Amino acid sequence: MPETLTIDAIQQWLHRFASEITTQADWLTELDSAIGDADHGTNMVRGTAAVVAKLDVRSTSTVQELLKAVGMTLVSTVGGASGSLYGTFFLEMGRNSPSSVQLDASELENALRAGVNGVIARGHAAVGDKTMIDALEPAVTVLSRSLADGRQLHGSIAAAAAAATTGRDSTEPLVARKGRASYLGDRSAGHIDPGAASATILVAALAASVDEGNAR
Amino acid sequence: MIGIVLVSHSEALANAAMELALQMVHGTQPPIRIAAGAAGGFGTDATAIASAIDDLVTTDGVLVITDLGSAILSASLALEIRASTHQVVISDGPFVEATMAAVVGAAAGSSLADITAEASNALSAKKTQTVTAPDASAGDDTAAGSPAASAEERLINPMGLHARPASLLVLTAGEFSADVELTNTTAGRGPVNACSVIGLLSLAASRNDRIRIDANGPDASQAVNAVKQLVLQGFGELS
Repeated sequence: MPETLTIDAIQQWLHRFASEITTQADWLTELDSAIGDADHGTNMVRGTAAVVAKLDVRSTSTVQELLKAVGMTLVSTVGGASGSLYGTFFLEMGRNSPSSVQLDASELENALRAGVNGVIARGHAAVGDKTMIDALEPAVTVLSRSLADGRQLHGSIAAAAAAATTGRDSTEPLVARKGRASYLGDRSAGHIDPGAASATILVAALAASVDEGNAR
Repeated sequence: MIGIVLVSHSEALANAAMELALQMVHGTQPPIRIAAGAAGGFGTDATAIASAIDDLVTTDGVLVITDLGSAILSASLALEIRASTHQVVISDGPFVEATMAAVVGAAAGSSLADITAEASNALSAKKTQTVTAPDASAGDDTAAGSPAASAEERLINPMGLHARPASLLVLTAGEFSADVELTNTTAGRGPVNACSVIGLLSLAASRNDRIRIDANGPDASQAVNAVKQLVLQGFGELS
């Protein structure tokens, strides 16, 4: 029995992402004040609010169209590296999604993998560089492995979210090698990377949306 | 003419860099667009960079000059989402120096490839003048052989061959088809291409240094003479 993620579920994912970002904005900004310019929470709130506003006024007919629109909105509203990276994530997801109203498990897996690969290509970051890739890469790897093992979509996404959380926490002792935090050198160690934190919220929001019975 | 897009986290920084560079241009200014800041604060915005590039669609190509790391990231995304298809290069040069080199080069009618190389090499002048610089002999790998025309003159303007006279020299040398090279014979630096403002600055030529002008090409003697006149007139800086 094929499981699918409907366009409604994707919209719900984005709504949930926006509201979780808002709830945790102060924490994200606090993380960013330790190793960056203290604006990650504010920037992500602005960007995800713009996405939600766009979802509310614009009806997108396909998953591909929806994800591309989300990507462009984030690029133009988040600002800085996060805008380009989250924008690239959704643009690449969209580019690698079918022109249909739903994604089956393997289509979702492909789209997420393409999104993460796009972020890696854009930022030239690898696992261990103390970036959002430390959360996203293990998440998609675990998702693929879990689906290959024959587990259901919702269980596999939940496992991916757990892997993102572990990856996020693994950034704490790391010394940043990418982005502005890398100028701090050893002083960047001892803090969770804010990008890895917001990326974990993204994957967790997807898991919660799938869990609510949208994956059939 | 080549167009230039300045990508900075700060609009004030981009504007100041542009103004500083335009001090060197006394004729037609190259088309420059600024894509700076994001969402009303510091940052870079790929959509703004893309529209700046699209806005320069009628130029002979565009050089994008960036400041800090994420500016490059946003610029590379801008290349994917832009509507236009004309040639665009993202410079790896340092922001202020590359802006200077690109603006002067573009005003002199240089090609995108030449301006890209100039901007990329834009730190060399600074390196020549710092104590840690290992070797000041920039660009002396050309084959020897006597040039078609030569002259040697002493610099008489108080500040030597600084940015303004260097850009004037680039514009003058660019009017001839001959290849013009300059050597600081007093300090033993060069030869460098007279069409390269960065190369000229790397000569670190001060007042009273002797400058040799060599040219090869059909109008070599006219070119040498024109450059010589500039030197003799102290680049118009004698009060």
